[in-house]
Amino acid sequence: MSNVIGIIRALNSGVKHLAVKRFTLRYPEQKLKFVGDGFQFNPETGVGIAGLRGRHILFHEHCTGCQLCSVACEGIAEAISMVKVHETWKHNKKAIMPQIDYGKCVFCGLCVDACPFYALYMTNDYELSSFTKSALIYTPAQLAIKPKISQDVEIKIDDRGASHG
Amino acid sequence: MTTQLPPGMNIETVDDKIMTLNVGPQHPGSGHMRLIIKVDGDYIVSCDPDPGYVHRGEEKMAEYRNYIQNIPHLERPVIHDSSNILYPYCLGVEELLGIEVPERAKYIRVIAAELNRCIYILYWLAIYGIFLGHSTMFMWPAGDRELFIDLLEAMSGARVTHAYLVPGGVRNDLPSNFEERCLRQVEYFEKRLKEYEAVFYQNPLLKARTEGSGILSRTDAIRLGTTGSVLRASGVDFDVRKKEPYDVYENLDFQTIVMKEGDSYARSRVPYLEMFESCRIIKDALRKMPKSGSVRTKLKPNPKGGNDEVYRRIESGRGAIGYYIVSNNRPEPYRVKISVGSFRNLICMPYLLKGEKLGNMPAVYWGLNYWPVEADR
Repeated sequence: MSNVIGIIRALNSGVKHLAVKRFTLRYPEQKLKFVGDGFQFNPETGVGIAGLRGRHILFHEHCTGCQLCSVACEGIAEAISMVKVHETWKHNKKAIMPQIDYGKCVFCGLCVDACPFYALYMTNDYELSSFTKSALIYTPAQLAIKPKISQDVEIKIDDRGASHG
Repeated sequence: MTTQLPPGMNIETVDDKIMTLNVGPQHPGSGHMRLIIKVDGDYIVSCDPDPGYVHRGEEKMAEYRNYIQNIPHLERPVIHDSSNILYPYCLGVEELLGIEVPERAKYIRVIAAELNRCIYILYWLAIYGIFLGHSTMFMWPAGDRELFIDLLEAMSGARVTHAYLVPGGVRNDLPSNFEERCLRQVEYFEKRLKEYEAVFYQNPLLKARTEGSGILSRTDAIRLGTTGSVLRASGVDFDVRKKEPYDVYENLDFQTIVMKEGDSYARSRVPYLEMFESCRIIKDALRKMPKSGSVRTKLKPNPKGGNDEVYRRIESGRGAIGYYIVSNNRPEPYRVKISVGSFRNLICMPYLLKGEKLGNMPAVYWGLNYWPVEADR
């Protein structure tokens, strides 16, 4: 008899959820809102600023071509290679800047920690899929573009349970 | 003419009654590993676990990378418990290099570790549910796990592989209004967790399959060197967080969950009850945490350890994880040995499965809190 009661209790606790809000995030229509504008790093204090570790953003006016990001990536993903750019900057005599292969990148953000010149940060853009492998390699020019993103859904909790937006 | 067999090999005698079954190595639900099971009808005669299919050479890789570059790859064996597997590494390297960790960073690390423990246990519980054919128990923990993933993503910036803990503290400070958000979601989760009781733990179907199966006695649990929830389910009160407190665990209010039965049911219930304790730790740590201050000690570039060795261990979702690190005046460690709970828990599997029904095998196997990738490293 106790078994029957147990099964009824188990079924009942499931049935109650018919009246509870659905928790699922309907992804392509809804996108999660993240903290800040992506992971950043302050080389003066040596502490990062919280944010999503998505696609990088490269500030050409700050990059000196010092290769520290590339050195940091060695042995982790080896996704960063330094390439020639056709730009003339006083602080970048060698005219080299990082190019990132997102087929290899693990988004650990240690390259951002390594940059002492406020040139390399990460953004909230995580939708990087493409049909070809070569399209995953982002040149310095592509990395300079600020992504356009609309992310506004957050987890909401009320009496009827938790839901996304 | 008889051929000489190489040492260690012997010819198997064929018995018509006994049948050999290979469970795996293609992903029997958790990761690549094989169980060579011999059955007599429906009963298991012997079981021979055969791990090693996902060996990645993490320990060797660590010898060629410096102390900071080791972080992203050392968390790979258990990506859904990545803060906990990095924790002992950070503690060990801090001891080697003589780094002081700021007080606020210690609390943040504890919060990250406990959030990650909940993520791991929920994932484990989801697979436990689906192993026993209970698909509600797969959906609910997999959904509720999102609450913690959301919090850790706000903290660290990544949903699964956080790379958040570093020698010297944490990578970045908490975002604004994190405390409030964390408290709200953890309190909601505690309410949610109580619903698991009726649908799964008090469910007669689960009890019928797990109670009294795969009994590991207290003496056997100690003799076989098990750890973590398996040890505590057999009535041994041992938790590294209590017995050898690291960082700020001694200031926090929680208790060790111990069950005496030692059967599959107890092994499935101990991690569930531990999630309540994790929530308690998170709430307590949020209360006691210094409201401002540094979170990371600045390291020299390419820090070098002296001629020294260190062993530090912590309690993870699967038991004690220990790191033995040897350094020899170089930026890279000379040797890194990871001692994981999964591997030690696997050792008792042949003892538990002997005489069990084949249908109980998934419950016994997954109750051991075994994660193949972590065991193979």
